[in-house]
Amino acid sequence: MHRRSVIRLLGAAVTLTSALALSAGSAAAQDTIKIGMTSALTGPYNEYGEGGRRGVELAIEKWNAKGGINGKTIELAMLLDDQLVPDRAVQNMRRLLDNKELVAIIGPAGSGPTLAVIEMAAADGRPYMNPVAQTPTVTYPDGGKPRPNVFSFALQNDVESTVLGRYVASQFKKPGLVHESTAYGVSGADMIAKELKAAGGAVVATETYNQRAQDVTAQIARLQRAGADVVVCVGLGADLAVIRRTMARLNFNVPLVASNGALSIPYQEAAGDLVTGTRGSMVYVFGEETLNPAAQGFADAYKAKYGTDRWWGNDPQRPQIFMSLSVSNAYDAADVLFEGIKRANSTDPKAIATAIEGIQGLRGVNATYSFSATKHHAIAPEDVAIFEYVKSGDKIGLTIVRN
Amino acid sequence: MRDPLTLTLSPEGRGKKKDDAMQFVLQLVFAGVCVGAVYALIAMGLSLTFWTTRTLNFGQGSLLMTASVATVAMLGAGMPAALAVPLGILLAGGLMVVAERIAIRPLLKSGDSMGWVVSTLGLGIFLQGFVSSVFGSQAIAFPSLVFDSLDSVDVAGVQVSSQYLAVLGLSLTLMVAMELFLRRSAWGRAVRAVSHDADAAALAGIPVRRVIVLSFVASGVLAGIAGVMVAQITGTVDPSFGFNLMVLGFVAAVFGGMGNTAGALVGGIALGVIEKLVGGYVSTAAEHGMAFAILMVILAIRPQGLFGRKEFTKV
Repeated sequence: MHRRSVIRLLGAAVTLTSALALSAGSAAAQDTIKIGMTSALTGPYNEYGEGGRRGVELAIEKWNAKGGINGKTIELAMLLDDQLVPDRAVQNMRRLLDNKELVAIIGPAGSGPTLAVIEMAAADGRPYMNPVAQTPTVTYPDGGKPRPNVFSFALQNDVESTVLGRYVASQFKKPGLVHESTAYGVSGADMIAKELKAAGGAVVATETYNQRAQDVTAQIARLQRAGADVVVCVGLGADLAVIRRTMARLNFNVPLVASNGALSIPYQEAAGDLVTGTRGSMVYVFGEETLNPAAQGFADAYKAKYGTDRWWGNDPQRPQIFMSLSVSNAYDAADVLFEGIKRANSTDPKAIATAIEGIQGLRGVNATYSFSATKHHAIAPEDVAIFEYVKSGDKIGLTIVRN
Repeated sequence: MRDPLTLTLSPEGRGKKKDDAMQFVLQLVFAGVCVGAVYALIAMGLSLTFWTTRTLNFGQGSLLMTASVATVAMLGAGMPAALAVPLGILLAGGLMVVAERIAIRPLLKSGDSMGWVVSTLGLGIFLQGFVSSVFGSQAIAFPSLVFDSLDSVDVAGVQVSSQYLAVLGLSLTLMVAMELFLRRSAWGRAVRAVSHDADAAALAGIPVRRVIVLSFVASGVLAGIAGVMVAQITGTVDPSFGFNLMVLGFVAAVFGGMGNTAGALVGGIALGVIEKLVGGYVSTAAEHGMAFAILMVILAIRPQGLFGRKEFTKV
C-alpha cells in the first residue's frame, strides 16, 4: 500500500512538471499549428488507420504548400497507434488531451475505440474529427443535438440505411430484411423498415443472424417462403457471402441489396461469381466515370506520394471506390478542420467549431460540405449511391445504378 | 405475377401451396441434418479424449480454426488442394498432441484438479490471438474444393446442395469408420480399456500413454475435417470461427451422452434439426439460443444424455 501511494505521488509530480514544461513550450511555439491523431496504424484494421494517416498527411502537405494556415505551418505533432483496440485508444487519447499544444484531434478508425474515447474528447472541448466510426451517437449522443466539438466524416449508419431504404422502396414491392444481431444490424434494419414505410411499402419478413453464423438456411428459407422479391441485408462482407451462397443453394433467385459490406473484399472473394447482380450502398465519388476536380487532385497527390498500393486498388488508372472510406474521408476531415482554423483565425476551440459550422458548400473529395449548429456530419444521403456488380465478358465490375 | 386468388381457389394452386410448405420443411430438416453431422464430428472428437483422460479440450475450436486458416494459407501459396487439405488436417492432429502435452497432462498430475478447463481454454485463446496477429482478424476466403454452392442434385423433387450432401456423406462415413475402429481394432479396444480403467489397462500391458496420444490425434483429425467442411459451407474462415462450433459440438456431446458414438451422432443431428426447425417456424432470433436451452434442459433432467449410462463410482 505504502509503496503504491509513493509511486502515485511520484507520478503526479512528474505529470505536473511535464504539464508546466508543456505550457511554457506552447507560449514559445506559436508559429506552428499542431494536431494529434490516434488510429489503427498497424494490426489487422490498418486499412482504415494507416489509410487515414495518409489522408491527413496529404491534407497537411497541401495546406503547407500554399503557406499553411494564415502563415502558420501545420504539423502532425503526435501520431499514436491504437490498433483499433479500445483500451489502447483510451490511453492514447489521454496522452493527446494532456498535450496542451495540440489544437485539434483526429480520432480512431472504428466505432469501438471511438465510443471509448468520445466522452473524454467531448469533455476536453478541442475540435475532434471522426473519420471512420459509423455509429451516429458518436456525433449525436442523444439523437438530437450534436456534441459541440465533434464533426463526423464517416458514412453514418443512418445515412446508409436511408439510402438503402429509399432505393429498395422505389424498386421492389416485397422486400425481405435480414440483419446481423448487433446494434449495427438491428438499428440499420429498423431504419430501412421505417424508410420503406414512409415510401408506402412494407417489409414481408425480417430475420436475424449472429455474426459469423455458419448456416443461415432457416433465415433465407423464411424470406423465400414469405415471397420476398429482394433480400435486403445489413451486415459484414463475410456474412453476406454466406447469405448469397445460401440463396444460390436454395435456388432463390432474387437480387441481394446490402450495406457497404457488399463492396468489401471478403464478400467478393468468398462469393466469387455469385457477386454478379448484388447491389450495395457506398459513397460514390470514386465510382463516377470522370472524377470531380477535387477527387482527381487528391488521387494525383496520393499516387505521387504513395504510388498505386493496396489503398489505391488494382487499377493503376483510377483509385478504388473504397478509398472514400479509408483515405479521402480523413483527408477531408483534416481539410475542413484547417479551413475552420483559417476562418476562425484563432486556435480557440469554440471559435474553430463555430467557424466549421459556418462552412457552406465547400467542395471536398467525398462530397460538398455544409455544416450548421445542428448538423455536424459531412456525408449525406445525396453523396451515397447504389452500386451493382455487373459482368461484362469475364470481368466483373461495379457500376452506379441510376434510378 | 402470382395471383392470390388462383393460389387459394384452383386445385392446382392449392397443390402448389402444399408443395411449398413441404419443400420448406424438407429444406430445413436437410440443412439441420447436414450441419448437425458436423456438430456430431466435433462431439465425437471431444468424446474420444474424454474417454481416455476424463477431460474436455475447450481449445478444440481454436485448433480447428488454426488448421483451416493454415490450409487457406497453403492454398494461397499455390499448394494443390490434394496436399494442403490433408496437411492442414494433420496439423490439427499435431496441435492436439501439443495441447495434451502442455495443457492437460501436467494438470492431471495433481489429482482431481479441474485446472485443465482453464488451461485448454487458455490455449485456445492463445491460438486465436496468434492467428489474428499473423493473418489479421478479418475473414479470409476459403476456396470451394469439390463442389461450389451452385451445384445441386434433385432428391424427390427437392433441390439439395451438393456441398451439404458431401458434408453429410463424409461425416457419416467417418462416424461409422470410427465406431468400427473402436469396436474391432486392437487399438480401438485399447482405447476402450483405458476409458474403463486406466490403471487396470496399464497392468494388462496396454501402453496407456500412447493410447491417450492416439486419441488426441484422432480427435484433432476429426476437428480438422469438420473445420474444412464448415469452411466449404460458409466460404470464409477467421480467427473466431472455431469457438462457436466447439460449443455446439460440446452441447451435441452432452445431449447425446458424453462418450458414446451413437450419442454424438444423434445428439449432433438432433441439435441441428431442432435449431433449423425453430429458426424456420418460431423465429430466427430464437434459433441461436436453442443449443443453450437444450443444454440446460438435458443437464436438469437427464445429465447422462440421451444415450449415456449413469456413472457409478465403485468405492
